[in-house]
Amino acid sequence: MILTDAALLEQALRGAEDAFTALYRRRQGGVYRFALQMTGSTAIAEDVTQEAFLALLLHGTRYDEARGTVASFLYGIARNLVMRRLDRRPGADVEITEECAGPEDLLEDLTRRESIEQVRQAVLSLPPVFREVIVLCDLQDSSYEDAAAALNCPIGTVRSRLSRGRAMLARKLRGVAMV
Amino acid sequence: MKSGDWVGTALRSLAEHDREREAPEEVEPRLVAAFRRRRARRKTKTVVLATLGVAAAITLFLARPQPKPKQVVPMPVREQPIAVAAAPAPMPMPVQEVTPQARQVKRQPREVVTQFFPLLDVAPPFERGELLRVTVPASTMRSVGLPVNEDHLTDRVYADVLVGQEGLARAIRFVSYEQ
Repeated sequence: MILTDAALLEQALRGAEDAFTALYRRRQGGVYRFALQMTGSTAIAEDVTQEAFLALLLHGTRYDEARGTVASFLYGIARNLVMRRLDRRPGADVEITEECAGPEDLLEDLTRRESIEQVRQAVLSLPPVFREVIVLCDLQDSSYEDAAAALNCPIGTVRSRLSRGRAMLARKLRGVAMV
Repeated sequence: MKSGDWVGTALRSLAEHDREREAPEEVEPRLVAAFRRRRARRKTKTVVLATLGVAAAITLFLARPQPKPKQVVPMPVREQPIAVAAAPAPMPMPVQEVTPQARQVKRQPREVVTQFFPLLDVAPPFERGELLRVTVPASTMRSVGLPVNEDHLTDRVYADVLVGQEGLARAIRFVSYEQ
């Protein structure tokens, strides 16, 4: 029988190591990728993943199933940890603001690793409030509800930030495609 | 192609590229070690709390006022002149038949108890426990909402304390005796 995340968390908080390990193995990838795509740093992503699960052990009793999934609770913790690190290194974000046409050229190159990294850099250059919704909804496939729970904001805010974030990303990628 | 389409394609490419990325393997053993340390600390804490709870219960039990043995007060003896006249023959008294049960009821005062008042806001599931008869100041009754006359706040009253399997005092009820 496959236990839900909530059941695993409950057992882990009661001291079941197997449940904690199972929950970690099930969710660590998402948390790690979220932190990586938010910061662009594998070292920070590793730290954030570890700290997020430690925080889950310490504060897991605050989890309320009615307010969202365990995954969104974990993303919420990871988001706070990421934001703290981003605050510590101001200016790390690189703005790519040139506006040019030619997205078709970019599409042809998307299969290439170089282009993937250009998309990653464009995402990283977004302001954090737009970056986090792009990362959660477009890169992590979170639902709007889960993203809203993780970011502790209304669903409408998620939708509007996503729309604006995608528009900003389009402008940035156009510029990259022309370089 | 609409800008939303190619931005979506670019993001999907990045998501696909990152899909297999996970936290490094060394994170899991570090977290498991932290989990075990925390569990060991919690066990120690539980044992200490249980020991303290039992010790407190025993102290209360031993400190309860022992029923004082009835003091034999010598009756004042009035010296009377010895009667010279012979005492009259004793009058036959009506004899009442007293059953052993009736004698028992007469000797033991009737115990009257209140309902149990919970002492913990959030208690772990109750598995087993022990009921301890203790004495507490009457002001304790006031703390659970029972009326107590100002003049009797420091009087000692009997109470039954329900101590759970973890050694925590979970509930209390008060006892009085009616003749």
